[in-house]
Amino acid sequence: MTFRNLMASAAVVALGAGAPALAQVESSDPIRMTLHDWTGQLITTNIMARVLEEAGYNVELVQADYLAQFAGLKTGDLHVAMEMWETTGREAMDEAVATGTVVNMGSTGMEAIEEWWYPSYVKELCPGLPDWTALNDCAEVFATAETAPRGRYLGGPVTWGGFDPERVEALGLNYEVIHAGTDAALFAELESAYQRQAPILLWVYAPHWAPMQFDGEWVEFPEYTAECYEDPSWGINPDMAFDCGKPRGPIWKVAWAGVADKWPGAASAIEAFSIDNDTMGGLIALVDLEGGAVEDVVEDWLWENEDTWRAWVEG
Amino acid sequence: MTEGTVTLACRNVWKIYGPDPSALLAGGSVPDAAAIAASGHVCAVGGVDIEVRAGEIFVIMGLSGSGKSTLIRCLSRLVEPTAGEILFDGQDLLRASPRELIEIRRHRMGMVFQHFALLPHLTVLQNVAFPLQVQGMARPAREDRAREVIALVGLEGREGHYPRELSGGQQQRVGIARSLAAEPDLWFLDEPFSALDPLIRREMQDEFLRVQRLLQKTIVFITHDFDEAIRLADRIAIMKDGVLVQVATPEELVLRPADEYVAAFTAHVARAKVVTLGAIMTEGAPPGDTAGRLPASARIEDMAARIEASALPHAVIDDADRVIGHVGRQAVIDVLVNRGRG
Amino acid sequence: MTLAAPDHATASPAGPQRPGAQRWLWPVALLLTLALGWAAPLLEALPGLGWLIRVPSALVIDMQAAVRGFMDWLVNRAHFGLFTFRELTRGIAWLVDQPYQAARFVLVEGWVEGRGARAVTHFPPLSWIAITAIVTTMGWHAGGWRLAAFVGGCFLYLAVFGQWASAMVTLASIVIAVPFGVGLGLLLGVAAYLSPRFDRALRPVLDLMQTVPIFAYLVPILFLFGFGPVAALVATVIYAMPPMVRVTTLALHSVPEEIREFAAMVGCTRNQRIWRVLVPAAKPDLMVGVNQVIMLSLNMVIIASMIGAGGLGFDVLNALRRLNIGAGIEAGLAIVALAVALDRLSQAYARRSARPPTASGMSWLARNRWAPALVAVAVLSGLLGLIWPPAQSFPAEWQITTRDFWASLVRTINVNYFDQLEAFKNALLLNVMIPLRRFLLALPWVWVLALVTLAGWRLGGARLAGLCAALVMFIAMAGLWEPAMITLYLCGLSVVIAALIGIPLGVLAASGHRAGRVIGGFIDTLQTLPSFVYLIPVVMLFRVGDFAAMIAVVLYALAPAVRYTAHGLRSVPSELIEAGTVSGCTRWQMLWRIRLPMAVPEILLGINQTIMLALSMLVITALVGTRDLGQEVYIALTRADVGQGIIAGLGVAAIAIIADRLIAAGAARTRARLGLTGRGGS
Repeated sequence: MTFRNLMASAAVVALGAGAPALAQVESSDPIRMTLHDWTGQLITTNIMARVLEEAGYNVELVQADYLAQFAGLKTGDLHVAMEMWETTGREAMDEAVATGTVVNMGSTGMEAIEEWWYPSYVKELCPGLPDWTALNDCAEVFATAETAPRGRYLGGPVTWGGFDPERVEALGLNYEVIHAGTDAALFAELESAYQRQAPILLWVYAPHWAPMQFDGEWVEFPEYTAECYEDPSWGINPDMAFDCGKPRGPIWKVAWAGVADKWPGAASAIEAFSIDNDTMGGLIALVDLEGGAVEDVVEDWLWENEDTWRAWVEG
Repeated sequence: MTEGTVTLACRNVWKIYGPDPSALLAGGSVPDAAAIAASGHVCAVGGVDIEVRAGEIFVIMGLSGSGKSTLIRCLSRLVEPTAGEILFDGQDLLRASPRELIEIRRHRMGMVFQHFALLPHLTVLQNVAFPLQVQGMARPAREDRAREVIALVGLEGREGHYPRELSGGQQQRVGIARSLAAEPDLWFLDEPFSALDPLIRREMQDEFLRVQRLLQKTIVFITHDFDEAIRLADRIAIMKDGVLVQVATPEELVLRPADEYVAAFTAHVARAKVVTLGAIMTEGAPPGDTAGRLPASARIEDMAARIEASALPHAVIDDADRVIGHVGRQAVIDVLVNRGRG
Repeated sequence: MTLAAPDHATASPAGPQRPGAQRWLWPVALLLTLALGWAAPLLEALPGLGWLIRVPSALVIDMQAAVRGFMDWLVNRAHFGLFTFRELTRGIAWLVDQPYQAARFVLVEGWVEGRGARAVTHFPPLSWIAITAIVTTMGWHAGGWRLAAFVGGCFLYLAVFGQWASAMVTLASIVIAVPFGVGLGLLLGVAAYLSPRFDRALRPVLDLMQTVPIFAYLVPILFLFGFGPVAALVATVIYAMPPMVRVTTLALHSVPEEIREFAAMVGCTRNQRIWRVLVPAAKPDLMVGVNQVIMLSLNMVIIASMIGAGGLGFDVLNALRRLNIGAGIEAGLAIVALAVALDRLSQAYARRSARPPTASGMSWLARNRWAPALVAVAVLSGLLGLIWPPAQSFPAEWQITTRDFWASLVRTINVNYFDQLEAFKNALLLNVMIPLRRFLLALPWVWVLALVTLAGWRLGGARLAGLCAALVMFIAMAGLWEPAMITLYLCGLSVVIAALIGIPLGVLAASGHRAGRVIGGFIDTLQTLPSFVYLIPVVMLFRVGDFAAMIAVVLYALAPAVRYTAHGLRSVPSELIEAGTVSGCTRWQMLWRIRLPMAVPEILLGINQTIMLALSMLVITALVGTRDLGQEVYIALTRADVGQGIIAGLGVAAIAIIADRLIAAGAARTRARLGLTGRGGS
């Protein structure tokens, strides 16, 4: 911890102690919040946890798997999960909410983007990009021995869904979809290709450090609408659905249904939590690209944005 | 040899291994060896009857595979006999409940094993005190008792050692001490000296006899070594293929072997060590002067020098000091060089 | 992990002996297989034959729903009158949590109030100096100065490379998981020893515990034991315990008969016999099981961290998510350091328990004069830490790192050699892997069923044939045929390659002391280094796909092939070597004519273990995008679908059990032919 951070946190502690306006907490039992394994989520959760602590609540941070955590949220073993992505967690979230034991606490204010992506240097080989219609002309650029003559598109893990094989077929793309097993594998390939300045076309999502660290662009497909996914006649291909890009969607907060009864003040603070993509991108960069510790980055942010978070607690 | 009370008796004890041993004996008839083998069974002990008298050393001798180990395990009920009765002080061991058996073994039986069976994680003192610990005796009491028996077998000063730090002979002394700790009436020794070097073995036999003179236990002793049997036994049972061949005193065995098998063992025994004057004397009053009077129960080995030194024969007397016969130089020399008679 | 049950070795090789037919059986079967694989697409087109080629859908039954229903019942409704099953498991979780919290208190946290910047430490945990001193002393106590230096070095690595805090979190869970695993394994092993019926019932359960991937039952465990470190501990115990059970039963059975008779003759009750006589007498053997539990617990560190154990596993995952390869390797090597240190310590204690204690006859304190000194070091370093923090926790400024080195190493290889690697990969992929995969997928399922059953019958008689047939049918009926064949292809090829590399390495390791040590260290590292650590660089160099997965599997599964080969060669009886020397064998002749043939049963056991490890890696390779049973399990996990996960996990177990039983039967036959008795292996 740097000296500045130390001062900052000392100041926050002093502020907390000296601010009698904060409400009495309803229960001193710890609120159990889940941590996953990506930086953005660690930052989001740590900010929320520190804010709740400032408000006088006890907080416990628990390591848990992104989807398996619903088991705990349903039973009340776990209380709050700060990032549930529309794009990857929707099914599990809907299922859990339907049981009545888990509630959606609203958007985090961040929007998830998922789409086909390529590094900027590929444009020299395939000048028609980012328009998707250029993809078929460049299939050979992206081809490997396994897929030739078709191009190779590195998709996300099977579990992410995303309908890429359907998209390839519907748009008549001359590509083969290879599924990476995890996002670590996905970005490992990106890093490898980037080091060699080799062509690559893959699934990237934001907010994430990769589109910040690597210079590149999203492929521009026909814009997503709900009908595109449901109605075959919609769009370019009259016979098939999925002839468009991927939806963008909010990143949700979810909680055990009992939170609102047990800690009403905390529940309203969690619902009020909001942060935008750019701010989060900056914080992620501080951690992943500049090597800062999550705790320090969070303390700095709290120090500099006291008005913002105090409004969540007091509002 | 006095006829004492019978401590342990086994009657018609069978141990048959195989798919359905009790069916073989079900009819009450005695199956013969061929029938047993034909049905895929192995007869380890076949219809054995023995009686062990109080205070005697009863040696069961046989070569490997003769069934002697199985027999001693039947006697101690480590192995469940297929049929028969085993009476220990009149109580049938085979009818004893597990609880009763535990009590009997805790207080009235001791056993020494061929490979010592010491517990490697315990010191000599703890090993010897172990049977008492199992009984639930308090630590000071059991350790005092353990020290006594350790002293008895001559291992003072080694109480804190672990078994692996001791020689084979010392380990077996621990085994002996341990088996005596609970002051058993009946003492089983299963080839206790077979795993030891010959010199040590002899020393241990002497040690064993010394301890037995002090304690006067009733002993069942297993060995495959005929010389050992002769040295130690009051009576010897010779086993072959699961069956008793002969039960007799060492002298009887040497003088009147029941069959060729027994004779083959006795052929090389130094008879002077076994045979008594009573067995070689000429009955009736001495014909003339005698050099002196000798007891009939004396072994020839011990008397040979005296008899040979005198030209006159010696009178032989019984326990009541009556002259019952006489023995001369020639008879003794015959025995010493294994000639004639017998 | 050892699946081979002890009775394999003694089972007499069954199966009729027909020399003439026997010689031709397998070549003919092979030719037929090749022909069928080639002709299957044609046959499939013939009307009425399709059901012989592809598993007919009428045969596939929905077992997933049944499992799901059962799990739902177990988790939500099962009850024993006074309390529900879940309350029971929650009670267990609470019990496990108490010692765990105590361990964390001592090793990690001390007594702290508040969190993050507001944390106030009332009482510090043991300082790094104290813990290093304790383990070093244990090393000295168990194995002398050399071991002390080694163990101390491992722990210093943790401090110097900045892994201390995480390593202590991991150590805290190991310190709890291992006693639970050992204790439970001991109890079950004793129960199996006492009751042959229980033993027979337990064995298949143990087989499943060792072969069903953990991901398959992670979700129900989370439901039952709650979220957090305790669930991770429970999963670790389930995974690490089976060898302890097997070792216990085996060790108790191999206590000398006389010791058992002695126990009866002094009138021991059953409990006295077990706990006062048999278990202490079997202690050196039992320590082998303890060692296994420690190693397997450390293998679970990564997966445990996914569900809340934190520690080094979390650091590895987190670093690799950020593609910080150097940080991942350093955290991974910290796991290796911890594993190797604990392994050497436990082995030294095992050897020590087989030796008489020295200087007997003295009081405990007189024999352990170091004990008060150790307490003094712990207390003093703690007190000193209050005024001078570096004595409490290793200061960040003193830490060193090799991260940049690793990152630039991978970068250099990637930039300069990618094309060559790619060419090599493509050659193998296009000429071997893809054709093999197509071939296996094309094989008629009925033929595979027949072939496996036939192998079972030839090697182990009717019972084994029945078991094999039943397991293959299970895979078919569960609708897992295709992923199972891909599993077979990926694992089969990996095992062949691992054997091709591992057996020569084993020969080399057996050839000399120094070579043995170097190779041993290499193998230890490969086995304890979390595969995730090398998976990511492998993906960077070879892209996502089967090839990367295969490399990861080969690296992980190499160890037993090397170890068992070396062990088999070393334990050839010395008279045979002398006989060879006397008859003038050259080194090569000695190796080919005498040592290798005699080591065949041992090598087969090594291959068996290699297969088991390869199968256990499947779930990890799913992370780089294979489409096999591992992927099915992984997908099920991410969807929290208990039914799918458990059925796919049982599919993996079915393959593992078939391979295990066939090879064990084959090894038993070979051993019988060579006239070797007893059981090899380590």
